[in-house]
Amino acid sequence: MLAFTFSQLAQQVVSGLASGGIYGSLALAIVLIYRSTRVVNFAQGEMATFTTFIAWSLMHHMSYWPAFVLTLLIAFGGGVALERVVIRPVERAPVLSVVILSIGLLILVNGLSSWIWGSDVKSFPSAFSTRPIRVGGVAFSIQDLGVIGVSLGAVALLALFFRFTKVGLAMRAVALNPGESELVGVRVGWMLALGWGLAAALGALSGMMVAPSVFLEPNMMLSVLLYAFAAAVLGGLDSPLGAVVGGLTLGVVLNLAGTYVGFVGSELRLAVGLAVILAVLLVRPAGLFGRTVARKV
Amino acid sequence: MRTKLSLLIAAAAAAVAVAASAGVFGVPGVTSSSILIGGTAPLSGEASSAAAVAKGADGYFKYVNAHGGVNGRKIVYKYLDDAYDPAKTVEDTRQLVQQDGVFAIFNTLGTNNNLAIRDFLNQQKVPQLFVASGFTAWGADYRRYPYTIGYIPSYLSEGQVYGRYIAKVKPKARIAVLYQDDDYGKDLLNGLKKGLGSRQGLIVKAAGYDPTSPNVDSQVADLRQTKADTFMIFCFGKFAIQAYINVAKLGWHPQIYVNAVAASTNLLGLATVTAGAKTTTGSISIAYFKDPADPSWAKDPGIQLFQKILKRYVPGGNPKDGYYAAGMASAFTLVDTLQKAGKNLSRDGVVKATANLNEANNPFLLPGMVVKTGPADHFPIEQMQLERWSGARWLRFGGLVTAKS
Amino acid sequence: MSGRLAWSLRLAAVGVAAAVAAALPFLTSDFLSFQLARMGIFLIAIMGLNILTGYTGQISIGHGAFMSIGGYTTAVLASQHGVADYWTVPLAGLLTGLVGLAFGVPALRLAGLYLALATFGVAVATPSIEKRWEGLTKGSTGISLLSFHSNHWLYGLTWALAAGLFVLAWLIVRSRLGRTFKALRDSEVAASAMGVNPAFYKTLAFGISAFYAGIAGALYTIQNAYVSPDTFPITLSLYLLIGAVIGGLGSMAGLLAGAAFVEFVPIHASGIVAAISPFDLNTKSAGVPSVLLGLVVVVLVLALPDGAAGLLRRVGSPLTRRLYSRPP
Repeated sequence: MLAFTFSQLAQQVVSGLASGGIYGSLALAIVLIYRSTRVVNFAQGEMATFTTFIAWSLMHHMSYWPAFVLTLLIAFGGGVALERVVIRPVERAPVLSVVILSIGLLILVNGLSSWIWGSDVKSFPSAFSTRPIRVGGVAFSIQDLGVIGVSLGAVALLALFFRFTKVGLAMRAVALNPGESELVGVRVGWMLALGWGLAAALGALSGMMVAPSVFLEPNMMLSVLLYAFAAAVLGGLDSPLGAVVGGLTLGVVLNLAGTYVGFVGSELRLAVGLAVILAVLLVRPAGLFGRTVARKV
Repeated sequence: MRTKLSLLIAAAAAAVAVAASAGVFGVPGVTSSSILIGGTAPLSGEASSAAAVAKGADGYFKYVNAHGGVNGRKIVYKYLDDAYDPAKTVEDTRQLVQQDGVFAIFNTLGTNNNLAIRDFLNQQKVPQLFVASGFTAWGADYRRYPYTIGYIPSYLSEGQVYGRYIAKVKPKARIAVLYQDDDYGKDLLNGLKKGLGSRQGLIVKAAGYDPTSPNVDSQVADLRQTKADTFMIFCFGKFAIQAYINVAKLGWHPQIYVNAVAASTNLLGLATVTAGAKTTTGSISIAYFKDPADPSWAKDPGIQLFQKILKRYVPGGNPKDGYYAAGMASAFTLVDTLQKAGKNLSRDGVVKATANLNEANNPFLLPGMVVKTGPADHFPIEQMQLERWSGARWLRFGGLVTAKS
Repeated sequence: MSGRLAWSLRLAAVGVAAAVAAALPFLTSDFLSFQLARMGIFLIAIMGLNILTGYTGQISIGHGAFMSIGGYTTAVLASQHGVADYWTVPLAGLLTGLVGLAFGVPALRLAGLYLALATFGVAVATPSIEKRWEGLTKGSTGISLLSFHSNHWLYGLTWALAAGLFVLAWLIVRSRLGRTFKALRDSEVAASAMGVNPAFYKTLAFGISAFYAGIAGALYTIQNAYVSPDTFPITLSLYLLIGAVIGGLGSMAGLLAGAAFVEFVPIHASGIVAAISPFDLNTKSAGVPSVLLGLVVVVLVLALPDGAAGLLRRVGSPLTRRLYSRPP
């Protein structure tokens, strides 16, 4: 191993944060669905990839920002429609049915992406400059900062939305107690659909943010998914801020483990991701930011 | 009565089918008018862009068939989807050999996929021809596996060419290597060491990455710290582009070498757009096939033939995708081999012919290249040429070079 | 119907099924018996998954990874220690069972979704661990077994084991143990109030399930005569779970349908899509098999919440019901 240098450490931390931003942004979408419907959506990554492909197609006909906004709207509409048509019937079914259904969606949407757009690698324009910035010996790009910034911005918006809007409050109520919410007049079904719509839009946002650096192809998010799960679990499955912080932490931990723990090297990162999931679930199942909920009988 | 008749017809049909698969001459897959060849390709799943190799080969066979076939026989190429999963390759290959009765397996894609069927095919004495993978063992293990032969230069010899070139032009280089952590990347790395010979110490650091990881940022940052002035990218597809982007981001200005599989004009074009021409220009790689995306071949008869075949026989084929050309090149060599094996085809005869190739007219290979094998040389393509990225396209330089694995 | 008559009918049905199974490879093409053998392997893995998920309600998306442990056990023993490949099968099962028990301990604390996430992680991460453990596994190159068996032999071995394991599963399900599993699934709290130790039984279920997966993995490796980290991709784990669900978790009959689905549907996907699609689609495209597979899963979960077995039950031959359904 090379001699330890501060600039190496700093660079690994910074590039870990950049990768962590990617994990966190997908984790955010996963958390949002969990928060509003108590389901983990295994198809979240594939939905994000699919909507990013839609943006890619739109960008052949219009400039970046209109395509960006239109994609978010399409994703939102798609998410709502998906909940209404596919998830609704299993709303009260056991967890297993919903997990299987989302795995079915994962396979289906992944297939659709490569059916429609082919499996070649495509470049995707960035909303931010990819120009490098160097501070001391450490380099990063505005794109990296942008990914993290957008995720944190989304977290702040979500917090405002859940705290100060009526709809947001209703969504929280539904997540905590669907039965009683219904009694007080909240339209439970639509709140759940709204949760899926928001998550799909966040997924699209994540896809459009990360595609410039990991490149667009049908399996773009498949390799991110495990890390996104680990990030979400680490932060606490129901905390949006936790998802982003969990992602950033995970990115840094993976980089440092890969660089300084000889046994891990660069090959065992997936195993480290798995170990993080297991360790957090066993030691503190609610994650860093999640609330511990007593098990109901 | 009626049932009896239909039974009789069914029996006759079955008999014909058996005869067809067993072949008129008792050679599986061969009839007086056709030769059945089988193979697998990732038509679905993560590696599906490489399926163009099989589609290109199929297009070439159709072209040959339209022009009279091989010794009066038409080639029927049946390729099945293995989704790049070796267990599926095994199942597909058993089907091709045991149910469809193919004459030979040809152009199966992927190192593990071919490893999975090599023992079976050799035990069954079914030729495993022109494997679409540069693993060194295809040519090196010919004594133990006489029915198996590779095609493209081994990754080991490709690495060797880079090593020898660096040792010559920059004997004091500091080399950093990013490699895919599997047989493919390790073969390239070992070749590089072999090519450097006594100068192996020039490699200051080699970092591997798992092909299932999302990016290679951390590895490149680590390699950057070594202050190396030479950077080897032994990657696959998008990881090569990511490596370029990271080099640019980190303000690193090494001489970059990028292995042939990751150096298509398409990919380097993407890398140039995203990482900037300053970073990619001057990159060095090797070539052995003509790259249809390179405009300088536009008037070349080989590439014109390629375009014609693609348009006519491969619906939806991308005229700039080098995988199709690679498929056509190996199909050309197979046709050549079958021709040499003569009118009385046998599996052993074809295997013998593959060990006796001397093909100087393959239109899809670089000018001057000869596909040559001998009793003790089972590496069909061993020549290649260095090339340098101009910022828009590859420019070949120096003559053809040869590396023995 | 008197009990005696029912029993003899049942025996006769089992006899007929056994006779058909034994004759099948000789009635069909040689290669089809290879595919049927593979279907049998999936059946074994799905039976194990069924005990875990269907009877104790614990989700595993990582059964492909458990299969790989059995597969590597067989490959290492057969290629490096000269053990005849078929003798490695029980050992592979036992070793994988032990690993399953070990994994069952942390899994205890994970319910529902969390367990799904953890096992998904296992499925994704195991290949990279196997690749890393190069001394034993030969890294990404993989291990060749050098022993080939005729397709009929593979069929015979697989289905004989499948039959034995089916009986074993049936005995487990019908026994006190099976009832305990179900009690745990339906209400862990109620079960523990009745003196059941949930930790013990849930771990045991993981062990039994992994034992089945290990045997399936060993057979898979014998059939392929090759193993590498790539032979147990994440898709295998997903397909197994899908097969179990299609079969209808918690019942034995539908499992055959589930295994047949996993073996045959992906292969024929583009043909099926071409045949049923009203438009002229590019069915040779890379995504087609996934689209069909995903669609089938989604539609099945929505239309047949209790899987193919539920359909069978509803269409309702009383014989099938008596043979396979759980006692009331």
